Amino acid sequence: MRRLYIGGLSHTITQKDLKDRFGKFGDVEDVELRTRKDDEGVPYKTFGYININISDADLKKCMTVLNKSKWKGGTLQIETAKESILHRFAEERQATAEQRLQPPAAEDKRQKMLDSLSKAGVENFTMKAVVPGTEIPGHEDWVVSKFGRVLPVMQLSCRKGSKARTLKYDPSKYSHNIRRINPPAVDEPTPVTQLTWEVPGGDDDISKKRRGEFPPYQPPRPKKSRTDVVNSSNAVDRIRSEKTESVNNTAAIRVTNGFNLPTNPRLAQRRGAYVYDSDDSGEEIRRLVVTQLTPHVTLSQQADDDKLEVVGYDYLVKSRLSRQQDKGDKDEDEYDSADTDELFASRKPPPQEKPTPLKAEDSSGNSTNRKKMTKKKSKAGEEEEEKYDSSDAEEHLPSRKPSSAQQREDSGKQGSSQSKKVAVLPVVKPSSSESDDDDDDEEDEEESDSDDEEEEEQEEEEEDSTDSDSDLDYEAMFSNVTHLEISFADLKKLAEAYQETSDSTTPNITSDSAERPAPKKGTTPEDILAALMEEDSSEDERKKKKKKRKVVTATQLPAFQGTKALSRGSKTDESQKRQKEEEEGGVVKKQKLDSESSQLNHKATESETSRTLSRQKHTETEKMMSESSEEDEEEEEEEEEKKEELVKSTGAPKVLKTVRTKVPVNAETGSSSSSDEEEEEEEKIKANQSVLISQTAAKASPSSSSSSSEEDEDEQETPSAKNAVKAAPPPAPQSESSTSEEEEEEEDEEEKTTQAPPKVVLGAKEEKKLQKEANKRRLAAVQQRQKETEEHKKLIQGALANLDTPTAGAGKHIVFGSDDDDDEEDEQQTNSEVKTSKKKLLQDSQSEDEATDDDAAANKKGPTKEKVRLKPSGPQLFGGSEDEEDDNEEEDDSRFDIRPQFEGLAGQKLMELQSRFRADERFRMDSRFLEEVEDKEEESERKTNVTEEEEALEEERKKNLSILQSVLGSSQQTCSSKTPVKAKTFRDVSALHYDPSREEHAAFETKTDETKKESKSARKKKREEAQKLPDVSKEIYYDVSGDLKALFGQTKEDVAGGEEKSSWDQEEGEEEEEEEEMDEEEKDEEQIPMPSLLSADTSAKGEDSSVFKFSFFGDEAETESTQTVEYKVESIQAPKVLWQQDPRLQDSSSEEEEEDEEQKDQEEKTSTVAKTTEEETPLKKELFFFYHEDSRLTEGPKLFCRSTQLEDQREQWEERRTALRQEYRKKHKDARRKLKSSHRS
Amino acid sequence: MRPLTDEETTTMFEKLSKYIGENIKLLVDRPDGTFCFRLHDDRVYYMSEKILKLATNISRDKLVSVGTCFGKFTKTTKFRLHITALDFLAPYAKFKVWVKPGAEQSFLYGNHVLKSGLGRITENTNQYQGVVVYSMADVPLGFGVAAKSTQECRRVDPMAIVVFHQTDVGEFIRNEDTLT
Repeated sequence: MRRLYIGGLSHTITQKDLKDRFGKFGDVEDVELRTRKDDEGVPYKTFGYININISDADLKKCMTVLNKSKWKGGTLQIETAKESILHRFAEERQATAEQRLQPPAAEDKRQKMLDSLSKAGVENFTMKAVVPGTEIPGHEDWVVSKFGRVLPVMQLSCRKGSKARTLKYDPSKYSHNIRRINPPAVDEPTPVTQLTWEVPGGDDDISKKRRGEFPPYQPPRPKKSRTDVVNSSNAVDRIRSEKTESVNNTAAIRVTNGFNLPTNPRLAQRRGAYVYDSDDSGEEIRRLVVTQLTPHVTLSQQADDDKLEVVGYDYLVKSRLSRQQDKGDKDEDEYDSADTDELFASRKPPPQEKPTPLKAEDSSGNSTNRKKMTKKKSKAGEEEEEKYDSSDAEEHLPSRKPSSAQQREDSGKQGSSQSKKVAVLPVVKPSSSESDDDDDDEEDEEESDSDDEEEEEQEEEEEDSTDSDSDLDYEAMFSNVTHLEISFADLKKLAEAYQETSDSTTPNITSDSAERPAPKKGTTPEDILAALMEEDSSEDERKKKKKKRKVVTATQLPAFQGTKALSRGSKTDESQKRQKEEEEGGVVKKQKLDSESSQLNHKATESETSRTLSRQKHTETEKMMSESSEEDEEEEEEEEEKKEELVKSTGAPKVLKTVRTKVPVNAETGSSSSSDEEEEEEEKIKANQSVLISQTAAKASPSSSSSSSEEDEDEQETPSAKNAVKAAPPPAPQSESSTSEEEEEEEDEEEKTTQAPPKVVLGAKEEKKLQKEANKRRLAAVQQRQKETEEHKKLIQGALANLDTPTAGAGKHIVFGSDDDDDEEDEQQTNSEVKTSKKKLLQDSQSEDEATDDDAAANKKGPTKEKVRLKPSGPQLFGGSEDEEDDNEEEDDSRFDIRPQFEGLAGQKLMELQSRFRADERFRMDSRFLEEVEDKEEESERKTNVTEEEEALEEERKKNLSILQSVLGSSQQTCSSKTPVKAKTFRDVSALHYDPSREEHAAFETKTDETKKESKSARKKKREEAQKLPDVSKEIYYDVSGDLKALFGQTKEDVAGGEEKSSWDQEEGEEEEEEEEMDEEEKDEEQIPMPSLLSADTSAKGEDSSVFKFSFFGDEAETESTQTVEYKVESIQAPKVLWQQDPRLQDSSSEEEEEDEEQKDQEEKTSTVAKTTEEETPLKKELFFFYHEDSRLTEGPKLFCRSTQLEDQREQWEERRTALRQEYRKKHKDARRKLKSSHRS
Repeated sequence: MRPLTDEETTTMFEKLSKYIGENIKLLVDRPDGTFCFRLHDDRVYYMSEKILKLATNISRDKLVSVGTCFGKFTKTTKFRLHITALDFLAPYAKFKVWVKPGAEQSFLYGNHVLKSGLGRITENTNQYQGVVVYSMADVPLGFGVAAKSTQECRRVDPMAIVVFHQTDVGEFIRNEDTLT
């Protein structure tokens, strides 16, 4: 295939002609004819291309024949032409297609290349240990790039604009240049469904996070510095709770746990800001642990500390007290100031919440020691003790409790344990003094509570979650308990006494008492029981406990009464009655005494025998407690308050108990103290206690009897229980009687205690029953309590009501302790107690169905008696006897009359004198003390003096204020207390109408040049005036700004004046017209003194209007004129918005002044501001709302009606119109002329 | 004992206004009675009118102190605040600085307040603005002068002084003999 160019053709030749002509030599495939034409379409050149299959020989022949031959008027010119482009493209494409079909060839090429490269020492496109840039031998364009990789040097064609350039790209000169220049075959478009993307990455955190995988959230641990003790301790707590579950073990274990720092733990602790004296180990170790665990904390802490709190102006500083109230929040602990005591006090939660296991350590070392002894574990350090108490207490409790007497920690470790000891440990040395100290100890313990709170909390947290619940309960139980410390001696005595009277059947009282988490620690089991009973009723503590308690109580009471029964035989009913009759019962006492002894014996013997049994029970009870405690926690919280009350109330009984054993005097004091403690509440509480006891006893008795019979513990017990059933009612009366007579009481209590707590092992069924009962009892107790409170209220109400009645004048006299009362105080109180208790008993019996009929009857009798007694006693409490009332009535009526001697000024003085002595009769002043009239004169003189002084002071004050103003540099309105605040009046802007007749409204007018009318001489004069520089006062000028009122009021003028000044300076050389204007303004000001210029000194004005003085104190300006800042101003600008000023702000005096001025200035203008203002005053009263006969209502419609005839108006209008037209034309002309003149110039 | 002259009053008010601003007015103009400033022995006492009258009974050389000492005029006639004025000024303080518990003691020993001890500060406190220093429990501790503005306080390093010490309640003990 050849392509031939054929030129020199004539225009007429067709393709066919060409084909025919060249067809002789070869096969003509394609003919292409082209004709070149000039502009006018005349062809001047024709040529063509043909594709022809022709052999070289034919081509030669053809060339020789046809070339330069003449054909149809033209000489042919034949040349071989380049291949047609299209043809070439087609061929190329075909070639590439073919290439694709044969890839192996390329592979081979590459392989060759690689081989040659490897020959040259290149392995895997890398040459090691070669300087970058060296060429590869055998390959020109291959170079070792950086990092030893062999890369080709490339020629890149680069197109910049229209120029194409080739760039040589040397990979050795660039660092990261391995990139595929030929993109790989384009990926197939991913289907839409697969368009989700994924971040590839490793396992490190960041890549994971990128992929959206986050590690489980871990709350950041608070970082605290050690210096911030509270914080640190909190942090410690938290960390503790998290980490140290296993720390419950003894201290030794802890120390070895690896928490120990090499340094002495104590030292470490001491480093802290404060040191707890009481307990070291737990805290210390924890802190150590924390410090160890968070070594970096301090640093980061600093960063935290750097956080600044920025507070707005209105930040309220809380008072310290309020702060403390809030301090429950731990955040605020940060801000604890140095006085930690206060903090502690404030932070001290209600005692119930915070159990005080630690108390036992410090205050009652005895008890702890005891425990140890019983355990036979010798723990050396106090730290160990601590841990034992706090953390281990729970764990060990069950185990300990079995040993009934000793290990009862529930009822305040000391008290309970001690009581147990009493029963169990006979080997104690007597220390008599301690019993007296009990009260003090209690207080100490309470105090220590506050101190130990934090530690306690921490310790609480230490314990396992499982343990913690029980611990909390346990501690909660302790919280209310005040600790009674009984010396060993006391215990010993008790024990000995018991031993002596051995062979008695009473079961372990102590153990029982111990079992219950008695909040009150009485030495005697009876007290404990009583406390327990109270708790039951009031607190609703664990139901299970209650069950057991019930059992216990039931057993107790029966035992107690059983002994009685034994001693008395069938006299129980009688004895009850007697007891009701209380004080008669000397015989009863004797009987009781007898029973006591027997009971004591019972106790001693049985305690030992039944210990084992009781132990088992204890363990069970403990478990139960722990379980139930969780449930009851809420309830407990609710009744915390009650607990507190109980604690108070229990305090007294404790004292009694303690006293019992040793000192009867103490008992007396206790009773007396209780009696002394004013309130009926306490009495009631006591009564409640006793009532509760009786209740529980009554209830328990039936159950106990059944249980006892079933269980067959001891023969003695069963009979006692039976007896109890019968005798259940008596205990309450006994207690009452005992209260009345202390010794008796003590004895009875002893009896009760000794006998009461026989223990019976109950089956599961029984337990359930007991539970139910306990619940019932609890509810009943709650009800009862409510009733009591109501009753109490009623009592008070009644008493008060009596007071209100006129006849009950006695109510005004409160007889607290008259001579008679002193003697009989104790008795009365005991009586009242008894009564109240009886009442409660009655209520109880009513509320409880279980109570036997006998009991109810007995109780009912009691209450009636009480009521009878109460009625007289009630008023006694609040008021005197009735006899006095009648006498006092008259006095009462006249009491509020003003006595004649107290009338008048002198009388007042007298009154004051008398009031100094309060209402003491001895110093009552009557008319004799009235001073004579002469004094009055003196007084008046004095007064004048005083007033002068006051005036001076007042003046000083004002001066100070003015100075203050100047110091502050702002116009603070002095809201002195003496100047009444001026009421702001409402100004109706919409009601504002332009009234040309009013002077102030001139402000709304645009000024016309009237200036030209002035004579030349006047102008000259003015100019001279203007040219002379105003005097600049050397006083400091304080720019008054910011206060709008001041701006619009007085100070506006000042400002205007100031502006004037400056303008005067500037405008000196300026045109006349302006000056004239200013002059006119000046005039205006002179003519129209501003209403706000009230303070202006008239005299000054009279002399020269340009000088005026002002002060911030309105009227006082005159007096202080020397001190006020003076301004000399040439002219004063007219008020721009006069109408805004409230004329009422003006004082009358100032108005007068103004009027004076006006008179002076009257020639110039007739209208004066003062007048206008006076006229305005009524208008200014406007309120926003319309009122009846509002002037606006009358004026308003006028605005809509024509005041004159329409025709008149029209005439006027036409006249005016012509005038206006003329004026307009004139102005227009003027303007034109001006324009022209300006153009020319 | 005499009332203050105008100059004295201005200097004193200027000083006071650094701490309580225009609230001085509340001291001068009290609704619960007439109170005044009196100069005695170069010290300014703030007292009620009643006490003022009572004090007239005591001769000048025997009179040690009347009312509350607000401060004293130095020989160069500058006014120096005393800590005794704290009770009157603290409630009206405009700008306050709270000091962390750790830095309380340092401040009460007469040291400046460092940034590390700064717990809280009123916003927009200017440099050299008089401030009342509080503990975090909002107990006023004394007077100071802001060494840095609030904005700067955020930036400076922890050991930079933020508040210059002026007076503190520790002076009640340290300067017990001279404090009247």
